[in-house]
Amino acid sequence: MNSAQIEIQLIASLVAIACAIPGTFLVLRKMAMISDAISHSILPGIVIGFFITQDLNSPLLILLAALTGIVTVILVEYIQKTGLVKEDTAIGLVFPALFSIGVIMIAKNANDVHLDVDAVLLGELAFAPFDRLLISGVDVGPKSLWIIGSILIVTVALLITFFKELKVSTFDAGLAASLGFSPAIIHYGLMSVSSITTVGAFDAVGAILVVALMIAPAATAYLLTTDLKKMLALAITFGVFGAISGYWFAHWLDASIAGSITSMLGLLFLIVYLFAPRKGIVAVLYREKQQRTEVSLLTFLLHLKNHSEEEERHVNHLNEHINWQKVRSKTVLELALKNNMILIKNNIVSLTEKGDDFTSQAIDYIITNEDAEIEHMKDDFFLFRG
Amino acid sequence: MDITEYIKLVFSDYTLRTITLGTAILGAVTGMLGSFAVLRKQSLLGDAISHAALPGIALAFLITGAKDSNTLLLGALVSGLIGTFWIRGIITKTHLKSDTALGLILSLFFGFGMLLLTFIQKQPNANQAGLDKYLFGQAATLVVSDVWLMAIVTGICLMVLLLFWKEFKILLFDADYTKTLGFNTKFIDVLITTFIVLAIVLGLQTVGVVLMSALLLAPAAAARQWTNSLSTMILLAAVFGAFSGVFGTAISASQNNLSTGPIIVLVAAVFVVFSFVFSPSRGLLFKQIRFIKNRRDLELNKTLAFMYHIAETHENISHPHAIKILNNFQGYTRGSLQKLVKKNYVKLDGNMWSLTEEGFKTACNLYNQQTDE
Repeated sequence: MNSAQIEIQLIASLVAIACAIPGTFLVLRKMAMISDAISHSILPGIVIGFFITQDLNSPLLILLAALTGIVTVILVEYIQKTGLVKEDTAIGLVFPALFSIGVIMIAKNANDVHLDVDAVLLGELAFAPFDRLLISGVDVGPKSLWIIGSILIVTVALLITFFKELKVSTFDAGLAASLGFSPAIIHYGLMSVSSITTVGAFDAVGAILVVALMIAPAATAYLLTTDLKKMLALAITFGVFGAISGYWFAHWLDASIAGSITSMLGLLFLIVYLFAPRKGIVAVLYREKQQRTEVSLLTFLLHLKNHSEEEERHVNHLNEHINWQKVRSKTVLELALKNNMILIKNNIVSLTEKGDDFTSQAIDYIITNEDAEIEHMKDDFFLFRG
Repeated sequence: MDITEYIKLVFSDYTLRTITLGTAILGAVTGMLGSFAVLRKQSLLGDAISHAALPGIALAFLITGAKDSNTLLLGALVSGLIGTFWIRGIITKTHLKSDTALGLILSLFFGFGMLLLTFIQKQPNANQAGLDKYLFGQAATLVVSDVWLMAIVTGICLMVLLLFWKEFKILLFDADYTKTLGFNTKFIDVLITTFIVLAIVLGLQTVGVVLMSALLLAPAAAARQWTNSLSTMILLAAVFGAFSGVFGTAISASQNNLSTGPIIVLVAAVFVVFSFVFSPSRGLLFKQIRFIKNRRDLELNKTLAFMYHIAETHENISHPHAIKILNNFQGYTRGSLQKLVKKNYVKLDGNMWSLTEEGFKTACNLYNQQTDE
């Protein structure tokens, strides 16, 4: 690993952390698409800043672009407040219009300036180490490292200072307001941080990767935990993992670093989406199947309790009368036997004492319909689940 | 270039004619389908799909190695559909909300697409140039066969729309009821989603990934302001979309260095702003006018009610009072008094006012109405 490689990975990791923090709150506040809107609509801000300074690294660019980001948020809110369209439509109307203005401004003046839509939108992390910051002639490292580093420090400082406020206003805006901190200030604070982070980051990695780095790690973390601190920690971990593994993947493929970081994040999300212990697809489908079998079992037990006559309790009756297929009847019977709830003698099914007890309690539950008692009951009675 | 010259050119110049026709058809079909997206609160789905189509284009190119636009569109369609149904899966199977799902799929698919594109660029194949026109769109690359494809898709779409009109309509406004009536909601849902994806994919080449979502939304959002009827809205949206396409092409053709896609989007945005402001029933302008008018009426009634209370304490309702008394009450202005005089509710005599018989009756009724409610 040479120093340029280390620098790229360092920048990518810092960007990932700086994005994951506001991203977590955006995901929790159901405002994830705002980051996409901001990342596109800051284009005119950048272009105007560039026309004024003729320098792609001027801090004025970041300032103007961040301002455009906040203007986007205000515009979206204004349109939404008129009640003419819904919030998502408002977002969808505002950012393409602003983006179009930016593209046209670039196109109209493309002859005499060096500014390319591709460069702004897509970014190229691989060039970041070549753009050095010189302080009185001394090379102190790549410029993007300093930019994103300072943004990260401010973000972390704000996060630590206002953690409680952020937490309360995210989960209960009404409570936050009644406790005396204005949800509007928190909202715009968060929007400003997101906007500045987007600008600072996309100079290095491009607009789309910023969105991916904001949303993907936070969404992945949200599938694994509901604890805010853990979610932040996980999101940061995933972001950094995506940044570093993505860099080496790109190195191996000789392709876009931003694209491959995004792809790694996508892969990570896919794995968690499928296999997360409680909220993954596999777990959800398994639980659904389990519940279906258990509901069938309960129906069957209730049926047994209601009928003392033998012909209603014959095993074949399950297939004929209740209309269950053989496989399903078999699973239900097996589950009931395993849990000692029924006895089968000469193909006649009867309830055991335990089964009778369980069914009585289940009937009580169905009649009174109190809370989620049935899950506790299942825990009490079942040795094996469906 | 003046307008008559331009119109002549549209009919004589092959390229211009193709582009104008293409963008008009595109605007019409996206306006039509966009109405459904807007009404189903899936406005940003277009944005997500247009980004999600990118890896499909890249993969189709990698597999076939040819830049045949139909193959690429097929790839885009497939990956757009995968993206859409994954979004749905995320929303229904996890506790992640729709905006997270949209942003996630949008950025992840697009990033993967970028990875593939840069990978393709490194391949020793001279064919790959021009794939990036799908990112920003280039109306100039439209050829007659593309326009035919768009027209055919629009035709099929229109036919399906007419055939399943009842189902589409009821699904939009009451999905649960549709299910209880025994309609196969899943089928209708998949059908409409597929058409939305198809329209987006068709537009990618013309206006590009980023701006496609605006073309889907803007005409529909503008049309929504003018009507409450679905059929009128769809029709209007199609017209707005088509006009955005035609005007946008005209403006961008009349000047150098103006890319067509962004101009079309801006024209559509102008339609939206105009509709937001000037629509008679929902528009901001008339709403404000109605608001001011209502406030004035209210002030007038307040003044009248105040006068009534004073007059009530006298036997003769027309007993004159000094205008100063009204100063205690802030709702009155010179203007409102004059209006009351005009309506013959009040008589002004220098600095003295008195209620007329008619004014007393009206004020009395006003008061009764207030207490009744």
